[in-house]
Amino acid sequence: MEVGWLYLIPLLPLLGAAFNGLAGRWVPKSWVYTVALVVVLLSFLIGFAGFVQMSGEEGTQFHETVYTWFAVGSLHVDLALSLDRLSGALVLVITGVGFLIHLYSVGYIDEDPGYWRYFAYLNLFVAAMLLLVLGDNLVAMFVGWEGVGLCSYLLIGFWFDDDAKAYAGRKAFIVNRIGDFGFLIGIFILFNATGHVDFAGMRASPLPYAVAMWAAGLLFLGATGKSAQLPLYIWLPDAMAGPTPVSALIHAATMVTAGVYMIARLSFLYVQAPGILALVALIGCLTAFWGAIIGTAQNDIKKVLAYSTVSQLGYMFIGVGVGAFFAGTAHLITHAFFKACLFLGSGAVIHGLHGEQDIAKMGGLKKYMPHTAITFAIATVAITGVLPISGFFSKDEILAQALNTSAFKFLTLTPDPTGPRLGFLGPLIYVLGTVTAGITSFYMWRCYLLTFHGNYRGPEDVHPHESPAVMTLPLWVLAILSVVGVVLVLPIHDFPWSWEHFTDGLFAHARGGAPGEYLPPLVTYGIAVVVAWVGFAGAWTLYKPARNIAGDVAFERATPRLRRALVNKLYVDEIYDVVVVRTVWRGARLLWRVVDAAIIDGLLVNGSAQLVAAIGALGRRFQNGNVQRYAAVTALGVAALVYLLLVRT
Amino acid sequence: MDHPTTSSLLTWMIFAPTIGVLLILIVIGLRSLGTLSKQQADEASRIIALVASTAVLGMAAALWKAFDPSNPDVQFVQHGSWIPAYNVEYFVGADGISITLIILTALISFIATIASMPWWPGNAHLDEHHFSQRAVPGYMAMLLILQTGMTGVFCALDMFLFYVFWEVMLLPMYFLIGIWGGSRKEYAAIKFFLYTLAGSVLMLLAIIGLYYNGPTVTGVDGQIHHSFNLLRMAEWGRQGGYQSAPLVVGLSFARVAWVGLFIGFAVKIPMFPFHTWLPDAHVEAPTPISVILAGVLLKMGIYGILRVNFALLPQATRWASTAMAVFGAINIVYAAFVCLAQKDLKRMIAYSSVSHMGFCLLGMASFTQQGIDGAVLNLWTHGLISPMLFLIVGVIYDRAHHRNIEGFGGLAQQVPEYAGLLGLAFFASLGLPGLCGFISEFTVLLGALPVFLTLTVISATSVIITASYYLWAIQRMMLGKLNPAYRTLADVNWRERFTLYPLGVLIIVFGFYPAAIINLIEGSLRNLLAGLA
Repeated sequence: MEVGWLYLIPLLPLLGAAFNGLAGRWVPKSWVYTVALVVVLLSFLIGFAGFVQMSGEEGTQFHETVYTWFAVGSLHVDLALSLDRLSGALVLVITGVGFLIHLYSVGYIDEDPGYWRYFAYLNLFVAAMLLLVLGDNLVAMFVGWEGVGLCSYLLIGFWFDDDAKAYAGRKAFIVNRIGDFGFLIGIFILFNATGHVDFAGMRASPLPYAVAMWAAGLLFLGATGKSAQLPLYIWLPDAMAGPTPVSALIHAATMVTAGVYMIARLSFLYVQAPGILALVALIGCLTAFWGAIIGTAQNDIKKVLAYSTVSQLGYMFIGVGVGAFFAGTAHLITHAFFKACLFLGSGAVIHGLHGEQDIAKMGGLKKYMPHTAITFAIATVAITGVLPISGFFSKDEILAQALNTSAFKFLTLTPDPTGPRLGFLGPLIYVLGTVTAGITSFYMWRCYLLTFHGNYRGPEDVHPHESPAVMTLPLWVLAILSVVGVVLVLPIHDFPWSWEHFTDGLFAHARGGAPGEYLPPLVTYGIAVVVAWVGFAGAWTLYKPARNIAGDVAFERATPRLRRALVNKLYVDEIYDVVVVRTVWRGARLLWRVVDAAIIDGLLVNGSAQLVAAIGALGRRFQNGNVQRYAAVTALGVAALVYLLLVRT
Repeated sequence: MDHPTTSSLLTWMIFAPTIGVLLILIVIGLRSLGTLSKQQADEASRIIALVASTAVLGMAAALWKAFDPSNPDVQFVQHGSWIPAYNVEYFVGADGISITLIILTALISFIATIASMPWWPGNAHLDEHHFSQRAVPGYMAMLLILQTGMTGVFCALDMFLFYVFWEVMLLPMYFLIGIWGGSRKEYAAIKFFLYTLAGSVLMLLAIIGLYYNGPTVTGVDGQIHHSFNLLRMAEWGRQGGYQSAPLVVGLSFARVAWVGLFIGFAVKIPMFPFHTWLPDAHVEAPTPISVILAGVLLKMGIYGILRVNFALLPQATRWASTAMAVFGAINIVYAAFVCLAQKDLKRMIAYSSVSHMGFCLLGMASFTQQGIDGAVLNLWTHGLISPMLFLIVGVIYDRAHHRNIEGFGGLAQQVPEYAGLLGLAFFASLGLPGLCGFISEFTVLLGALPVFLTLTVISATSVIITASYYLWAIQRMMLGKLNPAYRTLADVNWRERFTLYPLGVLIIVFGFYPAAIINLIEGSLRNLLAGLA
């Protein structure tokens, strides 16, 4: 259905960004806050009204072509938006959670002289993110995709006078560009195969197997960049250099989930490329495990949460990778609630401790900041799944789908049905994912216990204090959402609020036979609960309140090498530095110094000039103005001519 | 005579600057008579230059408004006889291939003129050694001659006229770099001159060959004449006329002529391996001259290839297309890598121009509508972005007197407005969607992919390398702790604002509304493409 107001949803935050960016410096602080908050709230309200209207009937979709952005030959790119149940839900998450984080930021950034710049970037981010999810073609999506990358760059390096923070921003952008390279080529391939860049047009054109594989694979490369998956996840932990509300909004709740969203949006493409789906699930599973084990040994509270995000994003990719697009996106939504809550909680802790981020120097904070402690605990329950609230079901659904899905049973890497089978992948992913769930429970409870329990271990002159209401209110809202978000993922068949039911018909169905069941749901729930409690028990044994940081010492003593490797993030950054960064840089210097300066300029250009000069110098010898020599040469010449012409003949 | 005169607008655009030159000559005369003081003569020449370039800009706006994009043929024609003995004509006109470049030339010349003025407050750092204070009447006269030459090249539809304008442009450029340039100005100026001249010689030989092997007409005197009329020659070429020309040392004439012309144009693009004059010329040239060099002069190479090689020798163009694409990809990736190794900011930006011009080659070599439209669009977008980049360099060089990227640090705290403008220009150049550079690169790559899959994928890696060198430069110059040497650095002044903001706004406008340009160019390019099929 064509509507005429969708453009307002991304436009309002864009206007807010323009106002704050251009005028924010000169107008009173309260104006900046008001504008920044009101535009996001208005976007939320419009989105909400639209969502209610649209979701009444299954299959309804609001569509708007704002204008034709550019058209060249057969390429026709509209700035077109569409609101369906998936993008609608994400609009609500982006503007809703986004509004809470804007509100929280008022307390967080108030004392920083760059507050106007901060809100301009934050508004711009919301606008770009809304364009990303609303965009009705790959190019519009790519604009949002790059726009959020720009805002991420600007906000990670928000305190740019610190070289490390500036570096983190740059690293994030460049690593993301590696993914964007894949995204771009993916767009080109799809356009050349289908003649369309809009989703409806592409969906209508069946693709040859190889084209689908390449396009899906290259787009997935983009997703590994934006959503911090192996091997491109390395930017996300460093991105924690940005202000903490930014980490909550961009690097937990919204931007980093863009890759998952993209795959869900392009489900019609991915089901045509089952091999790539398998790769998506496998990468997701490995990343989930990888992020979780590194998370066990981090002492920076934000780094723990960052690796946790990497790991949880991995789960989402398992979900979409096994063809259970609803499960991946459901976890996206519940994760937005509890991870935003965790990040904002960590921000409140850092704020209350005047910038301290090391959990070894925290402890006992529940006494000083009860609201933060309780909300953090609720969100931790949600992510670890020790009690069946939102995160428990959304994660378990993914793992159960991985185990029981038929997608892999008949999967072959080639279109040839007799090719090698990948049936073992599902159970493998289930086992590793379940182990990872236990590790998740361990590192999150470690983080919680070290931060809020035991004795306060920080310097005596720092007096921890609770944050103002403007910051604790969003914490409570998000904590409540983490609990009640469970209604989206309750495993009740035909439950009206169920996300699976709600998104029925939105996603394409992965190829494969009838779903088989290795394990019935009740068994997987049982395993999930046991694993979560085992993780909790491990954390409690090592880090129970009376022990303070003795747990880390014990850990270190038990496996010194492993622990040191984990503390150092498995040396991935160092390996990349040697293998990639330095090689590229040396190559660049070599090209310039040798090819450009020495061969082309030195040898060919200046060399030919010197050759001309040398010939000229030689010629000058004969033109020395000495008449006797001219006469002598002339005489010799005449003599030679005479000899040749007369004597020889 | 086909294509009769319909308008004198282009002639006015070409020669209005020449009128300015004559006026400046009068000023110089009065100065030597002692009637005018040095200061009066300087101011008078500045005003003349500004009025002339403003007038041309106004005419360009009128041209844009009156241009009919639905007509792919040449418009605004002025046509007359010039040298009847050789059937040389004065024949100017504009079509979709040239219209954007004529407008761009007017715009960039205007910006460069403003950038040459030391007028507005905040220019106390410009001492008598600054280019804007030295031999002002001569400088302004050269700038105007240059403008005549550049506009003439894009308007000329007679090949002889084209060649004359092509060479006219060379001399003022030589002097502008050689007199008002930096410390190695003589080396750079001579290098520029010889490089271009070497290319021109090959071009001239090819032109003569095309003339004698080209179409003939019977003149009023009953004698048979050859013709330099580019449109007639294009018609001849489309029908395969040059294919039947006698062999040149055993090789196809069309191919030899194609290569000769191509090398002449490739020097200007500049295409690897003929690019090494560019970094030197840019580094030594004063800021406004770099602006013109990057904004307009480089476009002539691509324009020439489209107007002459593509139109006149379509068969040879098809034969050479893969080679063009290969060189395009080399330009894109090789120059991007070289950028990564640069320490001089201006040299880095010069190499980045080499890299971005490679997209034109790749796109046009693909013979797809997207590829060729993207190539011409890229002339426009690069024509807006690269002048802004060089102006950005000029701002910091005027103040710090060096351009060593590592010699700054933390400037964003001290000069936030400058930092914002620099960020805009850098992000535009690295192809951020929403800014105009993205559209042309996207279109080129999209159009080239089905034809040159591997080369396109290789070229697309430049999105990573380009982001790397720009962001690294931003970090080293702008972020981190403020270098104490620049604690009193002044932010951009009004002269710089007058040049930077218009370009910045246009970069954003055409990022969101590129259709304004695509509409102008598409019709003529579709015809050009049809001739190649």
